[in-house]
Amino acid sequence: MPLLILLRATYRVAWKDVVGDWRRRATLSSMLFFAIAVLVVFQVAFDPDRQEATRLLPGLLWATVLFTSLMGLGRVFQAEEEDGGLEGLLLASVPRGVLFFGKWLGNLLLTVLVELLLLPLTLVLFNVDVWGQLPALIGVLLLGTLGLTGLGVLLAAMTQTARSRETLLALLLLPLTAPLLIAGVQAMAGLLDPSLELGSWMRLLVIFDVVYLALAPWAFGWLVAE
Amino acid sequence: MRFLTKIQLPLVVLTILALGVGLWLVLTAPADYQQGNAVRILYVHVPSAKMALLSYFFVTLVSALYLWRRQETYDILAEAGVAVGAAFTFVTLASGSIWGKPMWGAWWAWDARLTSVLVMLILFMGLMALRNALDDRIKAARATAVLAIIGAVDLPIIHYSVVWWRTLHQPPSFAGPAKQAITGELLPPLLAMSVAFVLLGAALLVLKSREVAARRQWEAVETERLEQIHE
Repeated sequence: MPLLILLRATYRVAWKDVVGDWRRRATLSSMLFFAIAVLVVFQVAFDPDRQEATRLLPGLLWATVLFTSLMGLGRVFQAEEEDGGLEGLLLASVPRGVLFFGKWLGNLLLTVLVELLLLPLTLVLFNVDVWGQLPALIGVLLLGTLGLTGLGVLLAAMTQTARSRETLLALLLLPLTAPLLIAGVQAMAGLLDPSLELGSWMRLLVIFDVVYLALAPWAFGWLVAE
Repeated sequence: MRFLTKIQLPLVVLTILALGVGLWLVLTAPADYQQGNAVRILYVHVPSAKMALLSYFFVTLVSALYLWRRQETYDILAEAGVAVGAAFTFVTLASGSIWGKPMWGAWWAWDARLTSVLVMLILFMGLMALRNALDDRIKAARATAVLAIIGAVDLPIIHYSVVWWRTLHQPPSFAGPAKQAITGELLPPLLAMSVAFVLLGAALLVLKSREVAARRQWEAVETERLEQIHE
């Protein structure tokens, strides 16, 4: 099948999800306010001064992103499940991997949008003055989000028909993303403090992304096979 | 399954004998000059750690075979392997903690091996939870098989990322007794216990597989009976 058709199919699936979310206005705003709630929890729990806040910032950001992404992931297949939409999608004459990339892209766009709002908000709320590093921080966040949403959408597909699926999703996603968290937090720490290692953590993030984005479409095919 | 029924009794008898011999060697071996009697914990800890890892390999293998061949036998073996593996992983972590307290002065350290074994325990638990949460048996079989394979890819990444994390930040936390060669009097009990644990793993796997197969058969009969009543 020509590449163009596959790309168009990916884009259609993703766009359907993004437009659906936008019209309902539910996911985006609840993710954002959930993220703010998590930041409040961290602030109250640790009450960091300025110096501590700078040191804690990478961990705070990644933990918030991870928890927030769970909310978005819980809804990736919700509409498909409720209205039998998945059967309809599976009828499309494209490889199953393309459907996966469509669902992934939709979730990625949503998660990135939340992150773009979350990052400056965190710097403001925690009084951390690293505005010069903002583009680089966004870059690290985006790099990690590729793999995070790749693995997350796959696990969401895996748990979609399960009982208490959101608990299960969290149970599976949190430990499996340990390498991503380590690499993401260390890379951000490396950006904020030039004496720390940066390159090898960026490489680990790329490895994680490549492994999961290569594995997930294939695994998705097995999950939805007839 | 019939093959499993045949080997069950000899395997269980052999396991009990091997465990008896192993434990006798463990209890009569001299205490270590550095670690004292605590070294005896390692004769349980090391074999069970190897069996925990072997169980995960086994689960991944039969999961891949299930996805390829789609025979229920592989799924039954996977379900049984998860239960056995979870037990060995738990014993590994518990015995390691008990050994760690007198030797390292701490129950726990976040080094690469401990972290990845802990994640392995969560994965075994996740595999069980996922299977229990899915009502459709075929879906449950596929989902757990895919998860097992994803976990198998993830575990080495976790291991090496923690190794890098720790070595870039601080020297390896504990390079103590583990690095020294195992010699002389320590070897016979360790070998005996390793053999005994391999047999134990096989015996548990056989027993659990038969239980899983029997339960599935019973569920199928029960469903059929209910359908007849409704008619």
